[in-house]
Parts: sequence; structure tokens; C-alpha cells
Amino acid sequence: MAISLATQAATDALALNRAPTSVGAQEVHKWMQDFNWDFKNNRTKYPTKYTMANDTKEQFKLIAKEYARMESVKDERQFGSLQDALTRMNAGNRVAPKWGETMKVVSNFLEVGEYNAIAASAMLWDSASSPEQKNGYLGQVMDEIRHTHQTGYVNYYFSKYFHDPAGHTDARRVRTLGPLWKGMKRVFADGFISGDAVECSINLQLVGEACFTNPLIVAVTEWASANGDEITPTVFLSIETDELRHMANGYQTVVSIANDPAAAKYLNTDLNNAFWTQQKYFTPVLGMLFEYGSKYKVEPWVKTWNRWVYEDWGGIWIGRLGKYGVQSPASLKDAKKDAYWAHHDLFLLAYAVWPTGFFRLALPSKEDADWFEANYPGWYDHYGKIYEEWRARGCEDPSSGFIPLQWFVENNHEIYIDRVSQVPFCPSLTKGASSLRIHEYNGKKHAFSDEWGERMWLSEPERYECQNVFEQYAGRELSEVVEELWGVRSDGVTLIGQPHVTKDGKLWTLDDIKRINCVFKDPLA
Amino acid sequence: MSLLEERKRGLTDPEMAASIMAEIPDQALDTQRKMMYFLKPRSKRLTEYEIMTCYSQPTPDWISGGLDWGDWTQKFHGGRSSWGNETTELLSSDWHVHRDPAGRWHPVYVKAKGEDWRVLQRFMQTFSAEGALRTMDPVWRDEILTKHLTALGYSEYGLFNAHSSVLRDCTGDTIRSTFAFAAFDKVDNTQMTQLMRTFIHKMMPGYDDSPAIGKKEWTEGAAYKSARETVQSMWQETYDWNEVMFAAHMIYDPLFGQLVRREFFQRLSPAYGDSLTPFVLAGMQTYFQTTKAAMADLYHYCLDNDENHGGFNRRWMHLWLEKWLPSTVAAMAEFMSVYATLPAREGFTDHASITASVNRVVDDWVIDYADKIDYKVDKSAMVATILAGLK
Repeated sequence: MAISLATQAATDALALNRAPTSVGAQEVHKWMQDFNWDFKNNRTKYPTKYTMANDTKEQFKLIAKEYARMESVKDERQFGSLQDALTRMNAGNRVAPKWGETMKVVSNFLEVGEYNAIAASAMLWDSASSPEQKNGYLGQVMDEIRHTHQTGYVNYYFSKYFHDPAGHTDARRVRTLGPLWKGMKRVFADGFISGDAVECSINLQLVGEACFTNPLIVAVTEWASANGDEITPTVFLSIETDELRHMANGYQTVVSIANDPAAAKYLNTDLNNAFWTQQKYFTPVLGMLFEYGSKYKVEPWVKTWNRWVYEDWGGIWIGRLGKYGVQSPASLKDAKKDAYWAHHDLFLLAYAVWPTGFFRLALPSKEDADWFEANYPGWYDHYGKIYEEWRARGCEDPSSGFIPLQWFVENNHEIYIDRVSQVPFCPSLTKGASSLRIHEYNGKKHAFSDEWGERMWLSEPERYECQNVFEQYAGRELSEVVEELWGVRSDGVTLIGQPHVTKDGKLWTLDDIKRINCVFKDPLA
Repeated sequence: MSLLEERKRGLTDPEMAASIMAEIPDQALDTQRKMMYFLKPRSKRLTEYEIMTCYSQPTPDWISGGLDWGDWTQKFHGGRSSWGNETTELLSSDWHVHRDPAGRWHPVYVKAKGEDWRVLQRFMQTFSAEGALRTMDPVWRDEILTKHLTALGYSEYGLFNAHSSVLRDCTGDTIRSTFAFAAFDKVDNTQMTQLMRTFIHKMMPGYDDSPAIGKKEWTEGAAYKSARETVQSMWQETYDWNEVMFAAHMIYDPLFGQLVRREFFQRLSPAYGDSLTPFVLAGMQTYFQTTKAAMADLYHYCLDNDENHGGFNRRWMHLWLEKWLPSTVAAMAEFMSVYATLPAREGFTDHASITASVNRVVDDWVIDYADKIDYKVDKSAMVATILAGLK
């Protein structure tokens, strides 16, 4: 086969052109949009009511090998710090006990979010038609695998060095025991992967990542550092470097549907639902973990919330999307009310059911109580007095025969679990915005704590059918359930969850709980 | 200045550190410090790969191996599950028993690929400085690489996209990371086919590095009709995630992929003075072998040997072979036409050499894949069918 004169000339010129050269990632990436091709049945397996544009671009423009190089460099820094400097300083055991317990929850629950985000990003990669957009989601798939392993590594590190490894060693098995677990799955698992693909993107990228990773992944590093934990900042700040890419993916998702008429009809409703879904859990849970799970406080949660959620996200970030018709969620103002009291309400319940935790909790100390009252005036009269009563009844001591759950029963304070958010609430004790609503459907009763979730359920009850811990274990004795769901330490009798972190305090056993004869009851039965 | 820099740190501020240390007991509260101690290791002791990966998938106990209980907290519109047994025909006694023999978790994986990138960058510097492109046959460079290396890139890109729904739907964590790394390798392969041609363009500016000609070959050329349709079918028409992966990694790629990558490009490149292609393709072959071992663990070691469902699974795998093997063999037969476009090279492009190539691919596949699940193949007939495509 003959070659052209032009090619021959170029070939001859090679003799003179021997400058060392290589090819950069961008030079390959620029052809990315050409990798796709059209064919019959080329459609996503995950239908969306929106249409994603074929020409959507991504912002970070990585190719596989460059991605790997970049992440590998970050890993070297992170693991170098953890395995060398921090280990030589015995940093894993110089963490405030309450905070070391908090990290059992934070790290493992974040791991679940990261893991589910692998599947969520894969669904978006399948849904997108633009190769660049697919590539952006692919990068996120890989990042989420990284973050799953990184958050797992935090528990792994604490397992090795923290003075109470139980709960860190087995979080993936015992986490299903407590009433906080199902709510976490709603926001961090199913909310990311089950639904219209774009709706899931809004949950994951536009709200979960753009809104709540700042308080979750950035603010947590400040609380950690104040409490002697340099492990968490080392890992979480490395995670955060990837999150920027994910926020850009969320932005590009909106850009890709901006010209679709469906966006004008549905986008703000989907955003509002996603925001309420995410905030309903994160607002109380993060506030509780920070303020009740720390020795040294950084700032009141309500301030953090206002800065990251209300101003940065609700104002600036959503404001940037305003040109695409995106509006701040209507539920933002109700969420703002929750940011003040909801985490205090939740801790009251979390402490009451401490045997179902895979972490130790502690009543607020005198210093804590003073801080709470100074920052949340009225705290003592509503919450502080209850904690004083529990303490006086010996709730920390196994010989007392008292767990605070009994106090709720004695005082007719019924605890419900919201069917949509799966977050527990006590209507007769709440200072937050919760209020009880009960509906009956297909012969089953369902409790709700707010109108936004109630609306979601009324529209699509078939999406929110999950039974809660009170329904699942109704009639079962507490110690029996704790043992069945692996809530005990390696001696087989001592609970992982404990109601104190005091140095010389006695640890509760299954027998201590059994003596109380506390039986699960479904308040809706 | 960030808040972090302004504040005192509990680890380094003497007063805060002393106060924290005063609260820490002298003895640990538990003697068990091994994370995931309840997990059965594949080998003698748990690896970090197993510890970081296993049970990160929060599935309920009605999906085999799951540790959670109850229903999903949010479902698809209409009530479909987040994850479910109905997403695949195969059954497992425990979807968490698969292990990647290479023990890849994220840092291990990106470290290896990042090193590949650095090595490749150095190689390109050397290759260009030596003017090694001068020895490359112009027809090979301008016709074969332009059309067929690019077409290979499209095949790899289709396979890559076949993984997206699989990564959404699969029901295990070790399985998900194995599939994710396989997917990433596939898009990497596509990008490397483009990189090679852009590299040639940079050394020889007259060379057109646009993928347009190769894309036309892939989408319209007779040499790729069955390959293209097979890939498209995996990508968008097949919903069972195990079927997609079985078709891709147990049938199509070890047959068509190996024929094109190893037997065509790697074996023939030296005959045309091309030392660039074998170097880049060697990376793809490393990924192929790593993926092959991982897929063998999943489909042979775990699912075919499953104590409760092995026989059932084998029947399904046989059915999938019946479905996907003919189109893969047709793809190989059609690809044979490409040999006719090559400038003749004794020992490389003659009938005997090509026959040996096809035999190697088929032999390897029968031994490493079909025999493992006792699937009977008439090798001679298969080879003859493929060779019938030779022009």
C-alpha cells in the first residue's frame, strides 16, 4: 500500500525532530467527547424525568492514569502522617475519650455514605449521555471507593491505638442495633441510590456534598483537633480535596438539565425534598455528635450551621445556580429552627437508649452544662434538669438498675420514629420543630414529625415502608436484642455501649440490663 | 487563616493534652484490637484489603451475607428495592466471600496505575528522543493504527460503559471494587489508544490524531459489526449485572479482546518496526491478567463452587455461554478481514501464523474459562469458524 507524499515528507522530517516529548492528560482528554457513539437502544437503565444534554462538559478533565497519580500522591502524604509521625506520638490514644467514641459513629456512618455514593455515581454515569459528564461521574465512583477505604481506615487506626477499640473494630456489624442507623441509611444510602437518577444526584451532590460535607468533613476536623484527634483531620481533609470535584459534578448535573422544560417543573421540588431529607438527619445528628461528643467545644452548632448551610449553601451556592432557575428550598426556614434545638432533643433520646449504641455516651459535665446554657439560653430548664435527675438516680452505675428509657415510660413521654426520615422524636419533650402526625395505610400506622416528610409520604407511601427498631423488636427484652445484634465486647458479656466515659466507672453487662427487664414497645401498636 | 490554625490543638497544647490524658484509663477497655475480627479471612490472616472492603456494603440479611435487618428506608418510585436479589439470576450463599487475588483496595490500585503513568511518560520521552518512530512502517502507522487501534479503543470504551449499571446494582462490596477497577482499566485502555496516536502526532505533526476514521471503522465497518453489536448489547440491553460481567470478562474480552490486543497488535507490531504499541499494550495486558484472576475468583471459585447454589449457577453460566459465545466468535471471524489489509510479512501475516494466533487464543480460553465450569467446546470448529473470516 502506497503512502502519500505528505506522509513521506513528514516521515523524513522525523530525522530532524528528535526533541524529547510526551503526552499530557489534557491532550488526551480533549478527545473525550468523541469516544461515544450512537446506536439503537442507547439509553440509560435508570430513567429520569429530566433530559441530560449530550454536550455537557466536566470541569476537572482527568484521564485515568493522571487521576491515579494524583490520588496516589495524596495517599502518600496521608498514610505517611498516620503511620509515621502520628503513630510515634501515640496520637491514637491521646484523644479525649468522648471524642474517640464520637469517631466510632462519624467515621463509620460517613463510610456508609461514601460506599453508597459509589453506586449513586455509577447510576449517574449510566444516565448521562455526554462522555465528559460520564467521565466526571466515573472519577467520583473512584473517589467514593477511596473515601470508603479512608473512613474505614480511621476506625482501623482507632482500633489499634485508642483505649476503647470496641465499636471501632466491629462498627460494620453492630451499627444496625441503634435507632440512629436507619435514619443514616435514609440520607446516606437509599437517598443517594433509589429514585430518579437526577433526584439522587441532587440528594448526593447538590445537597449532601455541596451543603453538608462542609460541616461534616471540614468542621469535624476542627472539633477533632481541639479534642486531641489529629487522625481525623489527616484523613478527612484529604477526602475533602476530592469533594470539590463532586460538587462540580452536581453543578454540571444542573447545567446539563437547565434547558430541559422538565427542570422548570420539577427541579425545585426535588431540591426541596432532597434538602429536607438530608437536613432532617444531619442537622440534629451532627450537632449532637459535636457538642455532646466532645470535651473541648469549638463553637455552637447553630453558628456552624448558619455559616455553612444557611449562608454558604442556601445563599451563595444556590445563588450561583439561580440563573438555571434554582431557588433556595422552601423548607430552609424550618430547618433553621431545627438547627437550634433539634440536636439537644436527639441527645436526650440517644442517651436514653444508650445500650443500643456501639459507642459510649456521657452525660453533660458541669462545664458542658455551663457552655450549653451560655450558648442556648433555656437549655438547663428543659434538658439540664432531666440529666441531673438521671444522674441522681444512678444512670451511670450498673448497680442502680436504672436506664433513662425507664424515665420516659414513667413520665408518659412516648418516643416515636418518623417513617420518612427514620429519626426518633418525642413530641411531649421536643423543643425543636417536631410535632406528631399519624396516618394509617394498608392496615399499618405511620408516625411523622414534620409536614415536609409527611408530604413526601403522602405522595409516594410505597417508597417509605421500612420498619423501625421499635416495630422490629416489639415485645423483645433489651439485653436479648443487644446480644443478638452483637452489641457486646470480646468477653461476650460487657456491652459496647456504655452511659459514661469515666476512667474508673464500672461497665454495664448483659445481666445488668436483663435485671431491668426493659421490653421494646411499638408506640403505634 | 483558617479556624484550625487559630485554635489550640488538644494534642499539642500542654494544658489541654494533660487534661485529656488524665481522662484516659491505664488499661484498654477491650483486648480485641483487630478490626473485622469476625470476618473469615481468605488466607491465614486478614489483609488490609479485606478489612477495608468487607461488609462496607450495608445490605440486610435477606441478601445473602448481609448484616443489616429490615427493609430499605427509601425505594425507587413505585417501590423497587435499593438493592435486591432479583437483579441477577445467580445465587450466592454469601455475596461477601469474593476476594480479588491482587488484594486491591484504593491506595494499592492507584499507586500501581500512577506508577504506570510515570513509566509511560519516561518511555515517551526516550522513544521520541531516539526517533524510534522512524522505524515504524508507514502503512501500519497511518492505516492500521489510525483505523484499528482506534476501533479497539471503542471496543474498550463500550466495555467500560457496560460496567456502570453493574456498579449501581451489584450486591457485594468486594465484588463492587473488583468491577470498578476493571471498568477503570477499560476506560484507561481507550485513553491509551488515543494517547499513542496523539504521541505520534506530536512527533510527526502531519499525522492526524483525530479518532474520526477509527470511529467510522468501528461504527460502520464490517470488521467490527458483531463486536460492536455484542458490546452494545452488554452495555444497554442486558440488565442482569452478573450476565453483563460474565459476557464481558469471561467470554468477549478473553476471546475478541485477546485476539486484537495480544495476537494482532502485540505480536505484529515488531514486524512493522513498531516498538511503541507493544509497550503500551503490555500495560493493558497486565490489567487483563489482574482482572482475569479476579473474575475467576468470583465466577469459578465463589459462584460455581457455591455450596448451596453451585450447580444452579453453572447452568446459568452455560446458558450465558450459549447466548454470548456465537456473537463473540462472529466478531473474531469478522476481525480476520483486517489481516488482509496488512503489508505481507513472512512469519507474521501468513495463514499459518494467523492460525497459530487464533489457536492460542481459543486454547487459552478453553483451558482457563470453559474447562473450569465444564463447558464443552469444539475447539476445531470454533477455530475454523473464526479462520473462515480470513480474506
